[in-house]
Amino acid sequence: MTASILKELDITNFRSIRGHVHAPLDAKVVLIHGENGAGKTSLLSAIELALTGSVQSLYRADAGYAKHLLHRSAGKGSVLLKTSGAVGEQSFETRLDSTGATTFGKLEQRLAGFFSERAYLPQSLLGQLLQIYQDSGSDVDSPLAKFVGKLLGLDRLDALEAGLKPLVDIRNVRKVVHGWSSAEIEKTRIGHLLDSQRNARTAIVEILTAEINGLKAIAVQVAPNLPVGEDSLGALTTELENKVDAAALDNVLAHIRELGAIKREISLARESVEEAKVLPDAGSLAGAYQRWESGQGAQVSAMRARVEQLLPNVTLPSDLGRFPEEAFVQLRAEAKELSDRAVQARIDSTRRAAAESERDTALAQRGTIDAEVESASSDSGSLASALAELTSFIDSEICPACDRDFNEVGKGALSDHVHSKVRRLSGSAERLLALSRSRSEAQLSVERLEREIESLTTRILDPKVLADLDRRAAYLETAMAELEELAEAFRQGGKLRSEDVAARRALSEEQSRTAALLGARETLGSFARLVGAAEPGEGETFEAAVGRVELLLIAENRRLADRVAMRREGVNRIAAIRTALAQRAEIDARIDEDETARRRAEIALSLAQELRDEGIAVRDAVDRVRSAIIRREFNDRLNFLWGDLFVRLAPAEPFVPAFSIPPSGTRRLQPKLITEHRYGGEVGGTPGAMLSAGNLNTAALTLFIALHLAVPKELPWLILDDPVQSMDDVHIAHFAALLRTLSKEHGRQVLIAVHDRQLFEYLRLELSPAFTEDSLLTLELSRSRRRDTLCSHQRYFFKEETALMPAA
Amino acid sequence: MSTAPLIRAIQERLREAQYHNIATPFQMAGVRFDFTAAMRGNEGRALDLILLFDTTTGDFGDREAARVRQRVEALSRALDVMGSRYVVTAILAGALLAETIEALAETCRVLQVEDIAIGADGRPADEAAMRQLEDQIRMLLPLQLPEAAAESQDGDGSVMEQLVRALPATQKALLDAVIVSSEHGEQAVTEAAGLAIGAPFESNEKADPS
Repeated sequence: MTASILKELDITNFRSIRGHVHAPLDAKVVLIHGENGAGKTSLLSAIELALTGSVQSLYRADAGYAKHLLHRSAGKGSVLLKTSGAVGEQSFETRLDSTGATTFGKLEQRLAGFFSERAYLPQSLLGQLLQIYQDSGSDVDSPLAKFVGKLLGLDRLDALEAGLKPLVDIRNVRKVVHGWSSAEIEKTRIGHLLDSQRNARTAIVEILTAEINGLKAIAVQVAPNLPVGEDSLGALTTELENKVDAAALDNVLAHIRELGAIKREISLARESVEEAKVLPDAGSLAGAYQRWESGQGAQVSAMRARVEQLLPNVTLPSDLGRFPEEAFVQLRAEAKELSDRAVQARIDSTRRAAAESERDTALAQRGTIDAEVESASSDSGSLASALAELTSFIDSEICPACDRDFNEVGKGALSDHVHSKVRRLSGSAERLLALSRSRSEAQLSVERLEREIESLTTRILDPKVLADLDRRAAYLETAMAELEELAEAFRQGGKLRSEDVAARRALSEEQSRTAALLGARETLGSFARLVGAAEPGEGETFEAAVGRVELLLIAENRRLADRVAMRREGVNRIAAIRTALAQRAEIDARIDEDETARRRAEIALSLAQELRDEGIAVRDAVDRVRSAIIRREFNDRLNFLWGDLFVRLAPAEPFVPAFSIPPSGTRRLQPKLITEHRYGGEVGGTPGAMLSAGNLNTAALTLFIALHLAVPKELPWLILDDPVQSMDDVHIAHFAALLRTLSKEHGRQVLIAVHDRQLFEYLRLELSPAFTEDSLLTLELSRSRRRDTLCSHQRYFFKEETALMPAA
Repeated sequence: MSTAPLIRAIQERLREAQYHNIATPFQMAGVRFDFTAAMRGNEGRALDLILLFDTTTGDFGDREAARVRQRVEALSRALDVMGSRYVVTAILAGALLAETIEALAETCRVLQVEDIAIGADGRPADEAAMRQLEDQIRMLLPLQLPEAAAESQDGDGSVMEQLVRALPATQKALLDAVIVSSEHGEQAVTEAAGLAIGAPFESNEKADPS
């Protein structure tokens, strides 16, 4: 594309151009002249429209400009631009109608942008150019930022810087880096876990120490030869679980119990010895009893014998005191029974007689019923129903069974006869039912009475037996009377005999007691020997000896109990130690594990942190690099070029416009427009403040050209629309020289429109072809109100200069 | 005849820019013109005719504004007569009234060179003096475009290389990742950086599936 040139342009009814205009453009310089309003700007903007599909300067003024592109007198129009170059000839066409423009084959976006921003300087833009660059410096999308980005390809650096920005703030890092915050949380969590586990471990170790100290104290007592430590717990356990002390303790306890028994024995023996002091007088009691025996004894014995005979089946107490009472009870009971039996026997006998007569009556009733039943026909019921069915067949006096005429009998109608017969038969059937009910009732009475009679018969006593009963009852009454009289004698005898017996028993007990006391002392002596104490000495009381032995045993008991308790405690302590050891081991394992996890998280975090630092370092480097690049580009390239161009056009102006790049913060590019003194380097104010209007215009124009030249040459066209409105003659001459330089030394195809006739002529001279391939085209636009726009063109070729001759 | 050092320095500088001397006096349209010095350009500047005037010590009326003007106007008319396309540039070495320059500017391009410190060898004394001299005649000199930015046409090679150079040559994993992703914009860079930084956690998770 670099070698391409604008070849020709056909315009029909576009903006201020009426009718059709053909403009050849294939020259290194195209100089366009026309009075104001002749269509210069229309011609140049037609090129922009054809190439880019839009006209930027019009767009800036009115976004709906497309509707006004067509010449107001025409219905349709078109712009056709042809270019030629390395890729051959290309056509760019835009058709116009009243609704707008339709573009065919415009430049690709990038080149179109280049054209609008870098190749075509509309007249309206020139005055605004400096302001545009001055005002919008800090915006990322500002023309300057875009220029810099395009120039330097800083997009990727920008992407790097913006993309790495989240790394600076840890909160954003947590959002951006997957796993970071969870690693941090994990680390903190494990940290807390470890702290609490260490605390738990300390507590366990304290417990362990306390338990081991306790165990040591016990081991000194119980197993002085064994070391105490975490490794010797097994041996200690075996030693502590030895039952020797427990067995000894059992033994002592048995001894104590035995001693207790001995003490009880002794005290019993001593108590009875003391009781013996109030022994009854056995002799006198025995005498009293003897006297009673010989007095009333025989009488009492006889009475007793008689009662016992009367009550052969009853066991009576042998105690005489209680005998009369008991005997009374029994005798009275016997007497009552006898009298009851007698009374019953009499009642029974009376009843049997009554029952027998009742039975006979019932039997007679039954006989009557039976007789009546026999007289009644047994099948009268079924016959009645059969006859009743038969009545439906009787409709005359002819019997349906025998076919005889009932009139023969002469006793009324047959049907009446049958009906009365049925009634009769039915009545006797009901009677039969009532009879059978009465009979079964009678039968039941007979049976009941017979059973009663039978049972009474078995019960009824023989009259002789009854007499015996009466006699016996009389005996009993007599015996009871006599016994009552003798009751006091019985009681006295009983009392005397029991006193006598008690006295005799006390005597024999006293004898056995003395023997027990001796035995007890003997037992105590041998027990004392057994338990290793001294035997009771002569004159030592029982209490003293027992107390002595008891003290001995209690002391031993206590000692052994302590030892046993100590052993138990020791075992418990060992169990506690083992539990604590197990817990410690478990916690140690967990701490180990968590430490590993924490180390892992820490390592990962520190690795990630290193990477993050690297990222931040990359970002800083991006900043530095871009900063350096921008500074270089602005200072060494753009400012240099701008300054060079400006000086060309305004050699007498000591102040040169430039961009000032702040020393830091290049992300938000904020170059300021300043002026520098050409030689002093001192910074002046903004161009607007320091430069004359003419030089300000020069500054804008040269800025545009500098921007065009500073970027890669994508389109070698430089199209300037009347750029010298207010430049004085000096500048115009210099500007012409600059255009020539651009055209002839830097290969730019220059299109320039001017309205000033003189300037046009001057430029035509200045830009004349200087060598064989050089070329110049002039286009002159003119129009009047009544006719179409005219475009006359003239081509100039190189012509060898011969005017200058050395003087002869 | 002795030429002023300033004139010589200007001539020297113009010769470096492919201008060559024209013998003076010369004839134009049958008229003889005498100047302190005259030069002509080459190639694209072949139509540049440069006249030098020494307004301080020069001959041929160089020291008088009126006579300078007369001669330039006469030459200009002669060129017109000949239909020549020469473009005349007058370089005035030394002080001159502003009105003179303005008057001259109507007929040709006028450049004024003054106050240039010239060393013993006849060249500008130092770089600043040389620059001053050049600035005065700059439009006659070729335009030097600074080294084109073409080296970084797509942006990247050299910019990225500069970036890589600007960083210590340690582990490059993250740098490589973000440089590759920088082509796809800021979001891609953030994602790539996040992935690269998160890598230690990834391996941690793999090592510890719990």
